[in-house]
Amino acid sequence: MKEKLAQIETQALADIAGAVDLKALEAIRVQIVGRKGALTEVLRNLGQVAPEERPVLGQAANQAKQRLSEALDERKKALEAEASGTGAAKGAADLSLPGRRPRQGHMHPINQVTEEIVGIFVELGFTFATGPEIETEYYNFDALNTPADHPSRDLHDTFFVKPGVVLRTQTSPVQIRVMEQTKPPVAVVAPGRVYRVDSDASHSPMFFQIEGLLVDEGVTFADLKGSLQYFVHRFFGRDRKVRFRPHYFPFTEPSAELDISCSICAGSGCRACKNSGWMELLGCGMVHPSLFRRVDYDAEKYTGYAFGFGIDRIVMQRHAIDTINHLYENDLRFLEQF
Amino acid sequence: MRVSLNWLKDYVDIPIGVDELAHQLTMLGLEIEAIERPGADIKSVVVGEIQSIEPHPDADKLVVCKTDVAAGGTLQIVCGAKNMSVGDRVPTALVGATLPGGFEITKRRMRGLESCGMMCSPKELGLGDDHAGLMILPKDTPVGEDIIPLLGLDDVVYDIEVTPNRGDWACMIGVARELALLFGGNYRLPELRLTESKTRAADLSSVTIENADLCPRYIGRVLTNVKIAPSPAWLCRRLIAAGQRPINNVVDITNYVLMETGHPLHAFDLAKLSENRIVVRNAKHGETLETLDEQVRRLDPDMLVIADASAPVAVAGVMGGAASEVGENTTNIFLESAYFDPRSIRRTARALGMQTEASARFQRGADIDMALYAANRAATLMQELAGAEIADGILDEYPNPPTPNQVKLRYERTGLLLGTEVPAQTQKRVVTGLGFDLVLEDDTSITVQPPSWRHDVSQEADLIEEVARFYGYDNIAVTVPQARRSEQDFAPGEKRLNDLRAFLVAQGLTELFSWTFSSRAEVKRAGLPDSYLDMVSLQNPLSENHEAMRSSLVPGVLAAVSRNARYGSHDIAAFELGPVYTPASDNTLPSQTAHLAIVLSGAYTPKHWSRPPHPADLYDLKGLAEAITDFLGLPLALETADISPYAPGQCAAILLSGQHLGHLGEVANATLNAYELDRPAYVLNLCLDPALEGTPSVHQYQPIAPFPPSLRDLALVVDADTPAGDLVEAAHSTGGKLLTAVDIFDVYTGKQVPDGKKSIALSLVFQAPDKTLTDKNTDKLCKKILRTLESNFGATLR
Repeated sequence: MKEKLAQIETQALADIAGAVDLKALEAIRVQIVGRKGALTEVLRNLGQVAPEERPVLGQAANQAKQRLSEALDERKKALEAEASGTGAAKGAADLSLPGRRPRQGHMHPINQVTEEIVGIFVELGFTFATGPEIETEYYNFDALNTPADHPSRDLHDTFFVKPGVVLRTQTSPVQIRVMEQTKPPVAVVAPGRVYRVDSDASHSPMFFQIEGLLVDEGVTFADLKGSLQYFVHRFFGRDRKVRFRPHYFPFTEPSAELDISCSICAGSGCRACKNSGWMELLGCGMVHPSLFRRVDYDAEKYTGYAFGFGIDRIVMQRHAIDTINHLYENDLRFLEQF
Repeated sequence: MRVSLNWLKDYVDIPIGVDELAHQLTMLGLEIEAIERPGADIKSVVVGEIQSIEPHPDADKLVVCKTDVAAGGTLQIVCGAKNMSVGDRVPTALVGATLPGGFEITKRRMRGLESCGMMCSPKELGLGDDHAGLMILPKDTPVGEDIIPLLGLDDVVYDIEVTPNRGDWACMIGVARELALLFGGNYRLPELRLTESKTRAADLSSVTIENADLCPRYIGRVLTNVKIAPSPAWLCRRLIAAGQRPINNVVDITNYVLMETGHPLHAFDLAKLSENRIVVRNAKHGETLETLDEQVRRLDPDMLVIADASAPVAVAGVMGGAASEVGENTTNIFLESAYFDPRSIRRTARALGMQTEASARFQRGADIDMALYAANRAATLMQELAGAEIADGILDEYPNPPTPNQVKLRYERTGLLLGTEVPAQTQKRVVTGLGFDLVLEDDTSITVQPPSWRHDVSQEADLIEEVARFYGYDNIAVTVPQARRSEQDFAPGEKRLNDLRAFLVAQGLTELFSWTFSSRAEVKRAGLPDSYLDMVSLQNPLSENHEAMRSSLVPGVLAAVSRNARYGSHDIAAFELGPVYTPASDNTLPSQTAHLAIVLSGAYTPKHWSRPPHPADLYDLKGLAEAITDFLGLPLALETADISPYAPGQCAAILLSGQHLGHLGEVANATLNAYELDRPAYVLNLCLDPALEGTPSVHQYQPIAPFPPSLRDLALVVDADTPAGDLVEAAHSTGGKLLTAVDIFDVYTGKQVPDGKKSIALSLVFQAPDKTLTDKNTDKLCKKILRTLESNFGATLR
């Protein structure tokens, strides 16, 4: 019996040392200490041994079991370490192989930029607003002081659904719609699609604009300058200079265009900025009093500023995209770059 | 508008440099789009005198000239021109000279003879299009002199963008007025040195205005004994700088005065006017006129015409007629300087499809007072440059001079609007300096009348803008306003839409962004039901493919798959989030609803060295639908349906509380073929508006059971058409609260199960919130569930 025990132990220790993986080790464990294992059998048969031998043999068997358990544990740890790659036994992983990446989605660059811009104005307290893309001539033109016979109302410039109903040519009608719905203070940004009858390398018949409107007591042109300068510095970087120069829009007075220093030559003059050192970014101005009268705001009490600009051009400049149509062609080779 | 700096200096002193002037003009609102220096490329071109002209011995079309260029000696130049004679003085490019476009002159042999330079045509010097012969200079031009100052090529031309409200800027005097105020000086109108002859204008012609609403003022000047000839060089040069083509002295003078004063003029050949008189009237039914561009124009009674005693001779304010055009043999001229109603001119120009220099100016509103000066200025020049005699008297019909409006400027209001105090004195100086007449004045305000050239000023804000322009936008303070917040949320759904977009991108989908134009043909191509043909049509679409606004996102996403397949990208997992449009049944605007479309085709999991690619299938799409449902926090349900354009049996409707919001499925072959697709595509289409309404519910924490669950697996054989979901539902209703989860972990058909059957393996999770379930309890429940499945579905244990 004693010899058998020693034989079992020797064999088991050899098997344990020779186990190549965890599965093999588990099989060995079952062979030794499992329900029908060799050692289990010895222990089970102790009752048949002469009583005087029983304590000695019992102790020996338990000690053997103890030693084998330790050996199993040790080998298990070694094999686990090997399996997880930390052991010296396994060959080094080829880390030049590509990893298994999660699926990569791509947000359209127009929405990436729009989200960023809206986020900056939200910091300044602005709220999101929207308006219909299929709009009445009243909101798109009349309410914004565009005369009835103005050329922009031609079929050459504006898409018509029927007389009096157009695809909006600008996001500015949202100004009127918002002011009709609420009383000051008003602080909204309204991005969205706009449409013009125009299609070439730099014009798409559908494009994206964002509108901003701030109305309250005491809003000034100096505030307009401060807000938009804040936006430029946050979006384009603090090194960009801004300038406001007089311009004309029928629904602001005074009106201005905002230029930023050229991103390519930093203001020293180059082809991209036609040697001026400046790039036109947006149109803005103080809300025309006639708009306030139209929405029953007290034009003496309230003042406000408004601004609007194209997102497409900013996206194109930012990513050096040469043709506007790339933005709307749904070519994965383009979209997956962003 | 193109403004020559040399010309501009006739009217105003400019104490600053070229670039600084460009900056100052821009900051006044006259944006400089380009600065041209016409002579910048020209070097070493001098005046030469032709000494001799001999035929070239070996070339019929060439001659050999000896040209004296003073200090440079006498040069032998081979030349192809014909228009010169011995003694002519011409621009001569020396060897080493450069011409516009970087063209360099070298010594070269032409048909065997050496040619040491080039004599130039106007075109070669960048002076217009004339390439017919050499540019012959006046006899007294000094030989050997540099051509640049002589021809005014040392000029600078500013290309200025004139905003539509400031038509008065579109002339030399208009620009000079702004600069005069900026520099604190005055601008100069050229002196009128006209001498009238004894002949009375009223005896030679007359003017009748029949429609004074459309023509408030009409001025005529009669000139006799005019000698039509080319204009002098200085005048040609200025017209060319302004972008005009010289024609003859009379026409050029009208154009010159237009550029100078902004006022359009027209010269008629008086002899060709029936009864030598002018009638300003509406056109009559059926009248036509051949205009200067040799087109016959059909006129209608809404149009104002200039007529003689019998027929129209000009479309008023737009273009003159061919029959009364000034030509070589013209001797007597009727010179028109009028003011026409801007709206009438705009309507007529648009109706006739004619935009001319004159119509553009009348449309913006001309200067009714300037009309008189312009007529006299042109007459003066015709006297000086065309030998004309000016008939005595001016024919000036001006029945109802307008009363200018009055505008009040409160000094304090300027500070309130600009956020920067501007001294009252400065404000007054700017406004009056711009030609506004002071009507009333007190300590706090002024009331003024705009000058005749300002049609854009009608209220206080307009005057504040003038103050701001001259005070300098740069000098206005920069303040960050206190934060203000609208009380109302104007677009509550928009944030969730943006969150959904970010979520979909995080699921590995690529965002598409299509034009929102579509067509009925496209709806049919996609195989969508006929209800989608109810679209918002455009009256003036860019093309048939874009005849209407899209009624569904599906055609757009299929087109994207098709387009990318053509480029060799077959693996696509993409979405589009955006509006679709539905016509309104009543008089309201068409409606616009936010939709989501997802499309999967090709490999959903790309190929990798460790595993084969996984092609997208219906369950990838359904998985996304389930994820979106969870994300939106809405009980969206799927119901098997048969909807076009999906393959039969491969489609489900998406429902929210019984309301049909969309569908998902595998695209039918007919549609795939229509888009030239050769592998399966899976599309989901969902209307989001109802899903975005209201506030999403906030998840309430579910206590985590502290006791371990008991697990049981059941492999069941059922009829092949039994929905697995029904088994799960039945298991739940039998298992009650203790059955916390049922997972389907295997679905099998094949050798191991009989035909018409399938095996479904369920993993059941039992758990009690307050105790560990005993095996006995669990087995009992499990058997009960099995019995239910046996009796309801004929399920058998495998």
